[in-house]
Parts: sequence; C-alpha cells; structure tokens
Amino acid sequence: MVNWILLTVIILFLLWMVFIYNRLVALRNEVKNAWHQIDVQLKRRYDLIPNLVTVVKGYMEFERDTLERVTAARTRAISAVKIRDKAIAEDMLTQALEGLFAVMENYPVLKSNENVMQLQEELTSTENRIAFARQLYNDLVANYMTNREVFPDKIIASLFAFSCVEYFSAEKSDRSLPVADIGIGTK
Amino acid sequence: MPLTFIDIEKKKSWRITVLFIFLLFLYFCTTFALVQGFLFLFPYAIFLLNPIFILTEPRYLLVIIAISFALAVIHFWFSAFRSVRVVMDNINASPPDPEDGLHRRLMNIMEEIHIVTGNKRKIKCVVIPSLSMNALAVADLRGEAVIAVTEGLVSRLSRPQLESVMAHEAHHILTGDCLETSIAAGIFGMYASALEKMMGSGEEDSLGLHPSFLLFWILVKLGNLLSMFISREREYRADAASVRMTRNPLSMAEALYIISRNWTGTGFISSGLEMLCIVSPQITSLDESEGWWADLFSTHPPVNKRIEILLRMARVDISTLETKLNVETEAFTQDTPEIPYYALDAKHQWQGPYTYTELASLSWLTPRTWIGSGNEQTIMKASENKLISKIFTNRLSLTGKEMSGFICPFCRQPLTDVSYEKTKVHQCNFCGGILVENVKVPRILARTEKRFTDRVKSLAKAVIMDNQRSIAIKKLKGVGVKTKPFISCPKCKNPMFRTFYSLAYLIEIDKCGVCNTTWFDKDELEMLQYIIENKITPKVDVFDPEQFS
Repeated sequence: MVNWILLTVIILFLLWMVFIYNRLVALRNEVKNAWHQIDVQLKRRYDLIPNLVTVVKGYMEFERDTLERVTAARTRAISAVKIRDKAIAEDMLTQALEGLFAVMENYPVLKSNENVMQLQEELTSTENRIAFARQLYNDLVANYMTNREVFPDKIIASLFAFSCVEYFSAEKSDRSLPVADIGIGTK
Repeated sequence: MPLTFIDIEKKKSWRITVLFIFLLFLYFCTTFALVQGFLFLFPYAIFLLNPIFILTEPRYLLVIIAISFALAVIHFWFSAFRSVRVVMDNINASPPDPEDGLHRRLMNIMEEIHIVTGNKRKIKCVVIPSLSMNALAVADLRGEAVIAVTEGLVSRLSRPQLESVMAHEAHHILTGDCLETSIAAGIFGMYASALEKMMGSGEEDSLGLHPSFLLFWILVKLGNLLSMFISREREYRADAASVRMTRNPLSMAEALYIISRNWTGTGFISSGLEMLCIVSPQITSLDESEGWWADLFSTHPPVNKRIEILLRMARVDISTLETKLNVETEAFTQDTPEIPYYALDAKHQWQGPYTYTELASLSWLTPRTWIGSGNEQTIMKASENKLISKIFTNRLSLTGKEMSGFICPFCRQPLTDVSYEKTKVHQCNFCGGILVENVKVPRILARTEKRFTDRVKSLAKAVIMDNQRSIAIKKLKGVGVKTKPFISCPKCKNPMFRTFYSLAYLIEIDKCGVCNTTWFDKDELEMLQYIIENKITPKVDVFDPEQFS
C-alpha cells in the first residue's frame, strides 16, 4: 500500500518537474522572439527615413544641420553591431527624428504636402510599433523572471541553468526631455 | 487611493471568472426550475404517477443535466459559429481602404495592436459607413475576430484616442469576452424567450404565469441581472487593459468623453449588438442618471464612472479634460477663424481681406508692402510679420538661388549671391538692394559692360538734382532735417553711416565702418556707375549758401 503511494508521489513530482521545465522553456523562447521582433520594426524605420529626408529636403533649405544629423544617425544605427552600441545609436536616431518633426512645424507649406503627411504617419506608426515591441519584450521578461524566481520553480530553474535576461532600459540621456532644434539658418 | 490598471485588471478577472462559473450553475438551476414547474403542472406527464421533486431522485438529475447541456451547446453552437459573418452583414461593414489616409492610419494601429499583444490572434478591422461614433468587437468559434469601427469614430478621434479604443476592443477579443457574452446571451436568451411566451399566453398584462413557474421566472431574471453585471465588469477590465497596452489613460478618458457626447448609433446598431460596443448605443440621458436601478439593467457601466476611474489613474481633473476637449470641438464646429490680412497695393488702396494662403499667392506682395492684420488692427511692413515673411523665405528657396548668410535690412530675407559686372555681390531678391564689399566697389565702377536703361539714366539725373536741392535746403535751414533711420549692416548688425558717395557724385549710400561694406538701395549702384561713366556732375548754378552766413 505504502509503495503505491510513494510511487504516485514520485510520479507526480516528476510530472511537476517536467511541467515547470517546459513552461520555463516556452517563456524563454517567447522572450527571445520578442527581442527579435523589435529588430523587425527598427529595420522598417531604416527603410522609411531616406524617403522622408528626400521629400523634405526640397523645402527645408536652412535645416541642413537637422537633416544631416538624421542621416548620420541612421547610418550609424545600421552599422552598429554590438547590442549596446545598437541601443545607443537607435536612441540617437529617435532623438534626431524628433528634432526633425519639431522643425517641420515651422513650415506650413511642407506640412500640408500629401507625401510628407503619409510619411509622417508611417514614421509615427513605426515609432509606436518600436515602443510597443519594447513594451511587450519587457512584459515578457518580467513574466519569465517571475516564473524563474518563484519558490518551487526556482529549484528547477537553477538545476537546468535558466539564465537571467536583461530588461530593455532607457539610456540616461533619454530620461531628460528632448530639446527641439529650431534654429533657422542664421549663420 | 487610485487603483493601477494592473490591480483593476487582476481584481476584475478573478471576479469575472467566479461569477461566470456561477452563471453557468445558475443556468442549470433554471433548468431544474423549469422542469420542476412542468412536473407540478402536469404531474401525470410521461410515465409518472405522483408529483415528485427532482432533487430527491438522482437519476432524473443526471438526465436533466444532460438534456440542458445538450440544448445549450446546440443553441450556442449555432448562434456563435458564424456570428462574425452574420454581424458583419448586419451592419454593412467593409474593409478599410488603403489609399485613404485615415483608413491607412486605422490599419497601422491594428498592426500596432497585434504587436503589443504578441500576435496571439489575428484580428481584422473593418469600417462601418455610419456617422455615429462607436466600435464593436466580434469573435466566433471559427477563430475569426473582427473589430468594427464607424466612420465617425475614425474621423473624429485623434491617433492616441483611436489607439486606446482599438486596444479596448482587442482585449475583449483576446480574453474571450465576446464568446462568453454570446454564451450568456444564448443560453439565457432561450429561456427568456420561453418565459415571454408563457407570460404572453395569459390575457392580462400582469403576471400571467402559473405559480409553479415562479421559481423559473425568478431565476431567469437573476440570470439576466448577473449577466449584465458580468458585462459591466468586463468593460471595466477592458478599460484597464487598454491602459496597460497603450500606457495612456488620458486618451482613453478623452475618447470615452467624446464618444458619449455624440451619436452612438441608436437605431443604427441593432439592439442585439449593443453588448459588443464600447459605449452602449442605448444610452439616453435617463440612463446616465446613475440610479441604482438603471445601473442594474444596463450592459455598460455609466460612462462618467469609467472616465472618473481613468482620470484618477492619469491624475487629471475632469474639468481640465472638459475645457481641453470643448476647446477642440469648438475649433471643429466653427471655421477655424482665419486671421484676415489686408495689403496696401501699388495704388495705395487697401486690398483684402485675404487668408494666409491667399496672401501667399499674391504676386505683387513684397516684404515692403504694408500689411494690416485683421484682429489687432496693427499695420506693419510685411517683413516685420514673422508669419508673412515666411512666405518670402519659401518663395526664395523655391528659386534655387545661392544664399548668402546676410539678411536684407528692409525685407528681412536672405541676400542671394549674384554676379554683377563679373564680380560677386549680395542682392536682395525682393527690393533689389545690393551689398558690396568696399574693395569691390572700385572694380565695379571701373567696369563698363553694363548697359543702362533709359529709366535708370533719367532716374540718375533726377536723383542728383533732388539731392542737390536737399543739400542746399539743409544748409540754408541750418537745422538738421529729419532723416530716415539708420539701417543696420547685414553682416555685422551695426548701424550704417548714410552719406553721398562723394560730393561730386550725389548718390546716397550706406556704409558700414566695421566690416567695410556698402549698401546700395535699388538702382543706386547702377545710377552711380552711369554718372561716373558719363561724368555727370551737378551743374554749377547752385545756390552758394556762404553768401548768407
């Protein structure tokens, strides 16, 4: 009689271990996927920017500085390889774009141009998507880490070497408000 | 203490699950009550001889459960299986048009919602061609899910507000709210219509119901109330989830505020679909009185309460919201009051009123035109009004000329680099004034390639005579005559010294002592060249002021 009970307990225990292990694996893969989803949206932004710059250049003669900053930031972001560099370059690109949009406010003729409006919408959507993708990534990381650190599951996690994952965080420069560069070329 | 959206979502989820299970249980109780009622009424039904209580006979219990379950499944299956298709046909919805800017925005937002929910389920969005403002979410057993938005909503909400609304609807789909609502509607709907039939068979309006069905009646009503309650809880939860997704409680509050004050589709969206909408089309001012009776029987919580919860999250006051949105709607309703501009034309007639764009297309407008701006009744030169001078900047940039960094002192526009007598000078596109470095002036005066028009020739002679006279008057009067204010150097902004080029050549010029440049007004350089080349000096019969001193 006791043997049966013992056997059941052991089987249940093993089943529980398998269940937890599988769940941790699934969560970890979701986290990895979410990270790469961010890259998909970043690529979309790279592709849209040259179009915007070309259309806008004809109207904004005096804003050469701003336009050049955007193009340079984009090139740097594409060529960055390491994750750290990439994150920094991407943030700089976001800031450069924000500066460009702020300056475009001064040109009512430009703002009402059909192409520019479409591109602006697409870029706004892309920025949103990047933000949402990062948000999702962080939510999934939180979920994974919680599952990894909760008491009974903690044992399995350390047993099978489920490692920590980093959150996506803002650079220190991001935490200050962006300053819009509205200098109209008085050299 | 304001609850965060995470707390709200968790609390409501727990409550909803428990209540839904209770609802299903209630469904079975209702079935018992129904059958019990029948058995009281027809005690000799089927093969029974005595009235019995079902609950004392377990065998019958199982039979009843099985039958009621089967009925529920069949009814539910048929109603929920193709419900998406049915609903879509009902409301005449169509997919969004990718070439339309606002529809494109809707499609982009749908894509963003997919990203933020991790692509768990593919949701389509469609547009209802109605001027009302509302959004529905429908999902069925085939896995199809659709969010339908009215044209009124698409056009009148800003981007963040539209994102919040879509996130709310998407959450309904993802948590299976739509399916469960259909279940509740389906299973109780069956009994509700059965009840109506039973009551309708009596001739009086009052309870024409056999007392044996009293329990049944009570339970059906209870089931109705419960399902309404669950529906309201779902709405709160979806609001919280929308904030979790967009992290913007303010835009959700704004969207609810705007929608609730507009036509929400009463009469257009059929009453069966109201449960799926974001704001109930059946809202009237009576319902909004928030009496507990009204609360009990509506599928949606009162909009004011929803807004209040969201605003608490955003830490914003309701009055701030109202003023902000009323200002915006006023801007919609009136024509955005365009500032009327008046311009003084060459004949000294005031022309106008013009709008800004009309002003920009006036061909005779120059930076030196006098402009009256309608509201403040101020009159200034076009160059002094920042907005209007942008017109000129745009015109200038469109000519594609080479810009220098210097600004014309009269027109406030950049000077363009032009070649004059084969040397580079800076000219204003609008007033024709020229800035020349002092070292270049002798060069220009020496070169004789420029042909002078008759106009310039006559002008030169007339100007010299005029200047002669004014010198004489000035000396005879002995007092300083009022002169035009000194202009500032385009290069270094210091005031320029006004003088004649020389006493022999009486053309007025402005010189800057600091950066050694000279400013010639329109035609002055040409006149100077002309008189120097042709050695036109003033005639000698000028008054000699010395004889009077």
